[in-house]
Amino acid sequence: MSTLEIKDLHVHVETKEGTKEILKGASLTVHSGETHAIMGPNGSGKSTLAYTLAGHPKYVVDSGEALLDGQDILKMTPDERAKAGLFLAMQYPVEVPGVSMTNFLRTAKTEIDGEAPGIRQWAKDLSAAMKRLKMDPKFASRSVNEGFSGGEKKRAEVLQLELLKPKFAILDETDSGLDVDALRIVSEGVNRAKEANQFGILMVTHYTRILKYIKPDIVHVFADGHFVKTGGPELADELEENGYDAYLPEGADSESALA
Amino acid sequence: MADTTTPVKEIKIPVADPNDPYAVPAAMPSSVDHAVRSFDVNDYPMPDRKQDEWRYTPIERINEFFTVFKPSGETQIEVSMIDGSPLAEGIKLSQVKLGEGLSGTVSKPNDRVSAVEWNSGATATVLELNGEIAQPVLVKVHGAGEDLDAFHLVIAAADRAHADVVVEHDGDARLAEGIEITTGKDSHISTTFIQEWAKTAKHVGNHRIHVGEGASLRHSVVTLSGDIVRIRMDQDFGGEQGDLNMLGIYFVDPGEHIEHRTMVVHNHPECKSRVVYKGALDGKGAHSTWVGNALIQPTAPGTDSYELNRNLVLTPGAIADSEPNLEIENGNIIGAGHASSVGRFDDEELFYLESRGIPETEARKLVVRGFFGELVEEIGIPAISEHLMDVIDRRLARGEDAAMTQVLEDK
Repeated sequence: MSTLEIKDLHVHVETKEGTKEILKGASLTVHSGETHAIMGPNGSGKSTLAYTLAGHPKYVVDSGEALLDGQDILKMTPDERAKAGLFLAMQYPVEVPGVSMTNFLRTAKTEIDGEAPGIRQWAKDLSAAMKRLKMDPKFASRSVNEGFSGGEKKRAEVLQLELLKPKFAILDETDSGLDVDALRIVSEGVNRAKEANQFGILMVTHYTRILKYIKPDIVHVFADGHFVKTGGPELADELEENGYDAYLPEGADSESALA
Repeated sequence: MADTTTPVKEIKIPVADPNDPYAVPAAMPSSVDHAVRSFDVNDYPMPDRKQDEWRYTPIERINEFFTVFKPSGETQIEVSMIDGSPLAEGIKLSQVKLGEGLSGTVSKPNDRVSAVEWNSGATATVLELNGEIAQPVLVKVHGAGEDLDAFHLVIAAADRAHADVVVEHDGDARLAEGIEITTGKDSHISTTFIQEWAKTAKHVGNHRIHVGEGASLRHSVVTLSGDIVRIRMDQDFGGEQGDLNMLGIYFVDPGEHIEHRTMVVHNHPECKSRVVYKGALDGKGAHSTWVGNALIQPTAPGTDSYELNRNLVLTPGAIADSEPNLEIENGNIIGAGHASSVGRFDDEELFYLESRGIPETEARKLVVRGFFGELVEEIGIPAISEHLMDVIDRRLARGEDAAMTQVLEDK
């Protein structure tokens, strides 16, 4: 049983216009086996929260903590956070030319586990996992994310989630850019991985449609850099009905596009 | 060279119109007009950084190669098949006095150091290739330390030959090297030159290359270490439909100067050339130079040429000079393109790999491996590309922990 505690997190980025505060005191606790949906309007800071936890250098932490089983991951390098059990499925997975998926996955697995996986077992696990995600075996020999379609990139993220077995998975807009079939395959992959490893999920999303496939235990509304409301799955239905208008600052334009 | 079975193609050589000189660029001065080609050292001035072709070179570090010297003869040369077995059928290995036999037949020296090499050396090693040779030939050049030496190699492929040659350099050396490559009609040849010198080695090389009619040549240079390595490569075609593919990889450590100069000359119609050089530079005072010259002469309509140089600066303080030069004297061509860049690591690529548990240093190695791997894959000859990836991995694996070495080796 693991716990991820985010405590009063304040984060800014440097822009051309100067310092911009994005997270303004975000607090959240997630336990193993729980699925939290983090929903909110565009620009509310949902993705910033995800990338800050993973350690992207662009985001500067001003104050607050993120404790994974008591250890502050904000003091760790990104690779140390991954080794501590954090996984971020990115909205836009990055292409790494010339590095094959196979080599990348094996290198990552070796680093996370602290030892190289046995070749035979690894090859078996990899091909089985790819098959379940309906990925062409040819993907393994292609460069990381290079020339992959949007849907293929998301499947590759879920493939990593299944193979690397983290304690907490942050899914950043994993549903974006997916058609109905791909959404189902990707969601099933997430559910399968969770079933097997009982990790906690922080699912950042703008739309409710992925919640039909990955059932949240807890739904949060995130607006203006912090959590503003927490409820059960029924909160998602309410958002579907009424949009985010109620959570936007006075005079802001709602760009509600609930699916 | 007349071949009675193919109809003679008409070549229209443009004639200058004095009223409109830019309509026919061929009427403009060509660099060929003043390029010296001579076996005589005295035809070349002492190199000076004011001269265009020496402007990037730290000449004070290689001035021992500017005057004729007595070679030590200590450089060890071994020739075998790549698996170590004796030379296969179709390969003839011989030694001739410089200036005799096939030596000195591919163009002429083109700068002071290549003329010095010619006049300092005594013999040439000649490798003649005939027919289909399945396995690559390996020429091992082992440097003999600080004594100046000269080495001259001629690779001559017969008409319709299919063969691959790998030339490997290692050890410490002060080596002036002359390479002549000539390929016969409709032959398919690859030559790969690897420099894995000791950190103190100095190597001045000159490749003179002649690609036969309808022939393809893949010429690769992989320079991984050496205090100073400067290689100039001049090429021309022997007839129509020649295909030249030049590929280069270099890895420059602090204080090292690695320089490659390619000179591609399109002198016949419908030939194709590709020059792709990629380098990684690491640390203070690491200096690379790539100068890619391409000349398309009036006699070469239908030319298709492209050259590219990419530099990846791994740590601050390195300098990459990258200079493509195109001289196009014929308007009737398919293409003459170039691209050149010097860049840092992509932070997003590194973050992606790090977020999967890969430490920054390993992530950088993976990215560099990928940067070169893309190029090596293009070689398309498994025996050669595997060999090259091994060499690159060996270079990257310095200081690697045991588990990662294992992963790299399994790859």
